[in-house]
Amino acid sequence: MSNFLFGRYLPGNSWVHRMSPQSKLMLCFFFVIVIFFANNVWTYATLSLLLIVVVLMSGVSIGYFLKGIRPLIWLIIFTVLLQILFSSGGHVYWHFGPFSVSDLSLINGGFIFVRFLLIIMISTVLTLTTTPLAIADGVQTVLKPLKKFHFPVDTLALMLSIALRFVPTLMDEMETILNAQRSRGVDFGSGSLRHRIQAAVPLLVPLFTGAINHAENLSTAMEARGFTDSEHRSKYRVYKWQTKDTISWGVFLLVGILVLFLRNN
Amino acid sequence: MKDIIQIKNITFNYPDQPLLFDQLSIDVHEGEWTALIGQNGSGKSTLARLIDGLIVLKSGQIVVDGLIVNDDNIFDIRNKIGIVFQNPEDQFVGATVEDDVAFGLENRQMPREEMHKVVESSLKEVGMWEFRDRIPANLSGGQKQRVAIAGIVALSPKIIILDEATSMLDPRGRQEILDLVTKIKQENNLTVISITHDIDEAATADRVIVVNKGTIVEEDKPDNIFGDIRKLESIGLSAPFTSQLIMALEKRGIDSSSQYLNDKRLIAWIKQLVSNK
Amino acid sequence: MDQTISFKQVTHTYQANTPFSQDALDLVSLTIPAHSFTAIIGHTGSGKSTLVQHINALLKPTSGEIDVYGRTIIPTTTNKNLKELRKHVGMVFQFPEKQLFEESVIKDIMFGPKNYGASEADAEKDAEDAMQLVGLDESLRDKSPFDLSGGQMRRVAIAGVLAMKPEILILDEPTAGLDPRGHKEIMDLAQELHDHRGLTIILVTHQMDDVVDYASDVIVMDRGKIVKHGKPSDIFSDPKWVYQMHLDLPSSAEFATRLVKAGIHLKQTPLTIEKLADEIAELIKWEAHT
Repeated sequence: MSNFLFGRYLPGNSWVHRMSPQSKLMLCFFFVIVIFFANNVWTYATLSLLLIVVVLMSGVSIGYFLKGIRPLIWLIIFTVLLQILFSSGGHVYWHFGPFSVSDLSLINGGFIFVRFLLIIMISTVLTLTTTPLAIADGVQTVLKPLKKFHFPVDTLALMLSIALRFVPTLMDEMETILNAQRSRGVDFGSGSLRHRIQAAVPLLVPLFTGAINHAENLSTAMEARGFTDSEHRSKYRVYKWQTKDTISWGVFLLVGILVLFLRNN
Repeated sequence: MKDIIQIKNITFNYPDQPLLFDQLSIDVHEGEWTALIGQNGSGKSTLARLIDGLIVLKSGQIVVDGLIVNDDNIFDIRNKIGIVFQNPEDQFVGATVEDDVAFGLENRQMPREEMHKVVESSLKEVGMWEFRDRIPANLSGGQKQRVAIAGIVALSPKIIILDEATSMLDPRGRQEILDLVTKIKQENNLTVISITHDIDEAATADRVIVVNKGTIVEEDKPDNIFGDIRKLESIGLSAPFTSQLIMALEKRGIDSSSQYLNDKRLIAWIKQLVSNK
Repeated sequence: MDQTISFKQVTHTYQANTPFSQDALDLVSLTIPAHSFTAIIGHTGSGKSTLVQHINALLKPTSGEIDVYGRTIIPTTTNKNLKELRKHVGMVFQFPEKQLFEESVIKDIMFGPKNYGASEADAEKDAEDAMQLVGLDESLRDKSPFDLSGGQMRRVAIAGVLAMKPEILILDEPTAGLDPRGHKEIMDLAQELHDHRGLTIILVTHQMDDVVDYASDVIVMDRGKIVKHGKPSDIFSDPKWVYQMHLDLPSSAEFATRLVKAGIHLKQTPLTIEKLADEIAELIKWEAHT
């Protein structure tokens, strides 16, 4: 169960693995923004091509990407269907009440589908090639300019990293409590909604009590280890900007410009 | 011998609770291994927190290596003391083994280059260097405690406090941690305070302080304390294995003149008896 | 009805069909007779906890069959049929105080019986009996379990399992973190339940002294397989093998091996202090006896 979050990271030594997390994070954002400028076959084809190159360079087999899409499949189908049934214009093939299917709506539906696919795939590349810790560090670096406005960037990053560190612990605890209450005759996940909410109390109370205990003990231990505040600390891990990052940015920017050039105005 | 920790007439209670310590005084000698024993709820762990200034005294004074424990000295004092807490899970702050060892160094704003060297040497010292990129979920309790010890070694303190540090480990993990602390104590000439209800852990100490209901019941060398099984049992502790064996032999008419013997001396004594028969 | 717990060729694979798949139990077959006191030992990760969680079907086998007092669990057993089984198999997890959640001690202990259909009055009576059994003072009845000491909280949790009146009680490291007195009280309770109430006790433990002091049978696990099943004396007779299994000897046996190393030869490996003292006394007073 504890593998659910951490199992997503696949150790490796590819070009993408070795890029600095902050530039991966920013490239991911950049790519998503560019996707929203795409509006014809050429622009989508260009972005898809770039994504295929990125996936190939990550050295991760395609199966893992499909797994990333599976939980979202219904959301995708639903949105694509809405797009097909409700967009108007073009040559209408079929209509019924407010619903209609036209050549234009089919094309739009296709674009929405590709857009989803691109966004999911690029964020999957990020999580498969970057440890949660590195992502937390990346967030910290990316948000650094906000420090000027007294935004507690370092505190946020430390909180994020501790939260990630405790996910498996709390998952294990949840499983044990679930099992203990099952042994005492609780039937989780069946019966009416009211019954299910009632059944959650014997799970949630111990889980929160445990989490609060962890938090208290952890803060004592942190204090004993000389922690005062998160803004006055040195950093053990620093992710240096590398040539790889510059080259990747160059390629992404070029593709971005190309998309602006190719899109229908 | 210098007293590295002096606890003078301290009084303490938690809010809305009766006094836990009333005029308690304890001295800890530099370079010694002092075991503080007593059953759960006897106030042992509170003492560790008071020494490290994690909670505040009602009255009295604690002096650590010449410094009075108060707000002004708190960080100097915490540089002198490393605590290994009971629950391995709750003192592991870093996302991976090496990040956790670095945590205390980051707090002290050590430059990064130096930090990497210190983390490496500390992890090698406790035999966890090969595990440096593991996340805590993939470590055993004993391994997590080793990492906690590495985090302390990295700060080169003068005093290590083991606060029930082995009570959640299996017997093998327990022994490994004790062996490790013994080794580190010798190499770095440290003072060790082990707060425990494990009698076999206490038997390895230079000096034993028995605490019950917030007061000192006895304070002596292990030899003198572990001779009296009944007294230990009356305050909810068990006797070390060797004491139990000596008593069983006494019942069979073999008299050791009621002296406590550790395992090596007991084996030597039995050997002598067998060859003298 | 068949009064045993039996495993027939049971395999359990965690995360089957993924790259992380792991065999936690590997073709395990065994029989635990009713009213026995069985200890399960093995180093961390050998499959002990996985094994016992099959007995009340918290885990279901990937293949094979488990039979508990005539109730059968197979891979396709559905959750609907499990309540009746779980009522009879009490399970005390490691650090069971973590499962407490009610506002008062008595309510928490009544939780199990009520889930299994007992009336309010019956549940209360069972809970009061259980409190007495584990030695919790009546004055604690209406206190919040979170205001109690660690040792008392553990006894509340154990009472919560005993109130369901199970026929089989599984204890997973029940004494972890307790001081010597608390340890002895819990182990004596297990013995009382076994000797005078006829419960079948299954104890998962790392404490070899408890194994020889309390258990009649021992199961040794290694890498998901059962490598030995017998009386404590059979298990610990070969110290070398015990160490190979990454296990410890009971204190007396360990001390005996050190005596042997020092050149003092004992006839057999003693498992308890009394036996060890007998043997040493015999060696020393050899002439006096003859």
